[in-house]
Order: sequence, then structure tokens, then C-alpha cells
Amino acid sequence: MTALPVEQSGHPYRWTDALAPGGRQAFLWLATIAIVFLFLGPIVILVVTSLRPGWAVFYIYRGTDFTLQNYRDVLATEAVIHAFINSFLVATLATIVSIGVTVSSGYMLSRFRGPIPRAWFGTIYVFRTVPYISWVLPLYLVCYYLGIYDTYAGILLPHIAVHICFFSWIMKGFFDGIDPSMEYAALIDGCTRWGAFLRVALPSAIPAIAALGILSWLYTWNEFLFALILTG
Amino acid sequence: MVKAHPPVSDGLSPKMAPGQNAEPWLGEKERFMLLLIVPAGIVLVLFQIVPIIFGANASFRDWQLFDPVRTWVGLKHYIYILNDPTFLTVVLPNTFLLMFLSVTLSLIGGLALAHYLHRNLAGQWPMQTIILLPQMIAPVIAAMMMRWVFNDQFGVVAAFLDWIGFGPIAWLAQRWPSFFIVVFTDVWIWTPWFALILLAGLRSLPREPFEAAQIDAAGPWRTFTHLTLPMLRSVIAVCVLIRSIDAFRSFDVIWILTGGGPARSTEVFSIYTYIETFVNLDFGRGSAAAMIGALIILVVAGVMYKAASRVMDVSR
Repeated sequence: MTALPVEQSGHPYRWTDALAPGGRQAFLWLATIAIVFLFLGPIVILVVTSLRPGWAVFYIYRGTDFTLQNYRDVLATEAVIHAFINSFLVATLATIVSIGVTVSSGYMLSRFRGPIPRAWFGTIYVFRTVPYISWVLPLYLVCYYLGIYDTYAGILLPHIAVHICFFSWIMKGFFDGIDPSMEYAALIDGCTRWGAFLRVALPSAIPAIAALGILSWLYTWNEFLFALILTG
Repeated sequence: MVKAHPPVSDGLSPKMAPGQNAEPWLGEKERFMLLLIVPAGIVLVLFQIVPIIFGANASFRDWQLFDPVRTWVGLKHYIYILNDPTFLTVVLPNTFLLMFLSVTLSLIGGLALAHYLHRNLAGQWPMQTIILLPQMIAPVIAAMMMRWVFNDQFGVVAAFLDWIGFGPIAWLAQRWPSFFIVVFTDVWIWTPWFALILLAGLRSLPREPFEAAQIDAAGPWRTFTHLTLPMLRSVIAVCVLIRSIDAFRSFDVIWILTGGGPARSTEVFSIYTYIETFVNLDFGRGSAAAMIGALIILVVAGVMYKAASRVMDVSR
């Protein structure tokens, strides 16, 4: 019977059984070491380099000189502090507004069928696909004409726009996972459609939306191209 | 993907008594639907659609930045770019090669890492954190870090190569080594993303088919190719779709690592557009490049959408 070897060895067959005794353990250890080396290694180098005095960074693989001077220098530079505050403000505002704007659009995509949702989903898919540079480049001139080039509004609004498509898509997934029968019940009991959305569906989606908020904040914090083009 | 629930039906709405459906085409339900998407729609129109129309207009004009004369030149820029040897022999192959290699390698690496994390061993939490590190730091920082790691004189890789006896290689001064570093960095950043999503997929798979496969004495490789992959295919399809579209427009990693160099040999579509606009200061030609890129990715994304729809219902 084919299942016999499995029964006899006491554990399911694994390809590592072909190795020497302890081979599976050794293989897993090797994999663990390789993963740590690959993913942690470059970051360790980054941290170690940041702790080196200026003349020692060129000898990254030897020497024992460490200093915190780099951090003191950075934190004493007005422009860097200002940049951090700007990033923080833009990321926070963009997160709040883009979540607020996309939550209703995701709800609509999730709960309705017909030509309007289909057209809206098509629009979202198409504009999710368009490369950033294709619309940020002319946006540079649009901002210039609107007089918001190199202002908070000029950098904030595109960061909101970039999230519309993707977040509507994700929010739709959140609402798909929530059973609509509570909303039916609310509608039968005389609740308006807005009430069913805001008071019944939205509270159930809050945990997922909070997670998306963190993600959104990180995306905005990490974005580089917009700031490169849209600020002087 | 979660199975969608049926939509909120009309019959249940107290506002819509049976027989009242003979309203004009913009009924109460349609108005509600439109109101829900109006905020998102306004932002989308103002900051994506208007700029694209603006750019399309600019791409037909001879438009030097900060020069008020904007002569209509028709398709001149399009013809120039489609005949530009840099665009045809460097930019397009680089863009698609980066897209293909980055997505394929991160998918394979992500599958391996997801299986590694799926074993529920002690010490799993620190490993999961380590694997997630590349997703936590900004791509720009990651690119600067990799540039330092691969520095041809002071970098760790150069030191290692020196130690095992290879002479110094000027990584960032040649096309393919530079391109390799770009691909490596991109894969390094995005493998954890694939791993995380595929791990969630693996954890949601039912156990019974795997037990059945064990009873039938299927080997691990056979189990993987005949059970795991087919059952994960919808997750994989979505990951590949999203990631391919993003990889096509990658800008910051390449901009920091090589800046498109040496001698424009690692330029991808976004870098080419940026350089035409802000280095050569030709807004018309840059817009035309942006339009061509957008059209190419629309076609590619359409094809991929059709392919993905065979595996799963993407829009649901």
C-alpha cells in the first residue's frame, strides 16, 4: 500500500528525508541564516555607516571608530527638521482626506450592480494603470497656472489623487467582507440609505480602514517623485 | 478574494414601494450611487484627468519650458520618439525586462519565503519582522543603501569580491551590472510584499486536500505544483497584476541608483520622460513620451486583466 512508508516513519514524507540525519534541521538553519543575511545585512550596514565618523565610512569593513556626531549634525540642521515636519503633515493630511473620500466610493462599488458601478470600476482600473509620470508631469504646469506650485496644497492634492483608485478598490474588498443583511434590516426599519451606510456599514469596516490608513501614511511618507517634480 | 454579497436590493428600500420603479432613469438609488462617488470623482478629474488632457495637448506642441511660444507641430514629437534609437533599443527593453524580472523573481522569492514562514516554528516572529524590513524603509533609502553596498571601491560586495580574488568591478559604470543592481534592489524591496500576501493566502487554504495528497504519497514538489499553486492562483494573479503595473512605472529606485546612466543605458520609461522634460527642458517631447508610455501600459494592463479574469473575477 502506497501510504505505508508515511505510517512507518511516523511523520509525513518530506524531501529532506533524503538528506543525512539532521539534514532537514541543517537546511532550515542555512535558510534562516541566508534570509537574515539578505534582508537584515544591508540595513545593518546602513546603521553602522550612520554611526561612523565622516572619514571612516570609506573603510566600511574595518575599524572600530563609532560616533553619534552624524545624528547630532542632522538634528541640528534646520532644513532637515523642516523636511520631517513637512513629510509628517502631508502624510497625515493626505491619509485622512484620501480615506474619507474613497470610503464611500468603495462602498458603492461593493453594494451595487449595474452600469454606473461598472463604469466607475473601469475608470478606476484605467487610472490606476496610468504611470505616475504621465499625469504628474503636466500636473506640474497645472499647479503652476493654479498658483499652487511649491505650496502645501500643491503637494498635498496629488498625493490624495494618487490614492483614489487603489483605495477605492481595496475598500470595496473590505465592504465585500461585511454581510449586508444588517443594512437590509436598517432599511426595513426606516433608515435612509445614508444612515445604512454611515451608521451600520461604516462602523463594521473601521478596523480594516484603520489598517489601510497606516498603509496610506507610509506610502505618502515614502513617495519621492511627486515632491521631486512638484516642489522647487 | 471574498465572495461578494448580493447588493442592497430595491424591494427592501422603504422609499421604493413595488410598482414605483417606473421612475426616470436617474432614480433615488442612482442619485445615491452618484453622490457616493462624487468626492472621489472630483479629485480624480481635477488631478488626474485634467493634467492628462493638458499633457496630451502639450504633446502636440513645440513647447520649451518657460517659453511662451507654443507652436502646434502635430505628431512631430511622437515620430521623433518612435524613431529615437535610445527609446527603441534601450528604454523599451529595459522597462519590460525590469518589469518581467522584478515580478518573476519577487514572486518566486515570495513563494519560498511564504513557505518558510508557514511552518509555525518557534522564532517565527523575529523572522517575520526581519523579512518585512525592506517594506518598512522607503524605496529611496533602500536604493541609497544598495548603492553604498555595491559601491565599487568601498562597498561590502566589492570587499568580498576582492577577498575571494576578483579584481574591482566598476558596477555602476557598465550597463548590465548596473541593471542587475537595479533589479536586485527592486526584488529586495518587493519580495517581502509577495511573501506577506502569499502567506495570508497559504494560511487560508483548506487542510483536507493536503492530507489527501499525503495519503496518496504525493511528493512535496508534486503537492506544490498540483495543489498549492492551483489553489493560490487567484492570489498570485492579483499580486502579479498590481505589481506589474507598478513595476512599469518604477522611477525612484533607478533614479537614485544609476540616474539612468551610465550613458543613458539603464533608463526606463519614467526616467526617459523625466530627462526629456527637466534635463532637456522640452515639455512637448516629454509629454509625448508620457502619452506613449501610458498607451503602452494601458494595452499591457488590458491584456493582463483579460488573462487574470480567466483565473478569477478581478472586479468582484
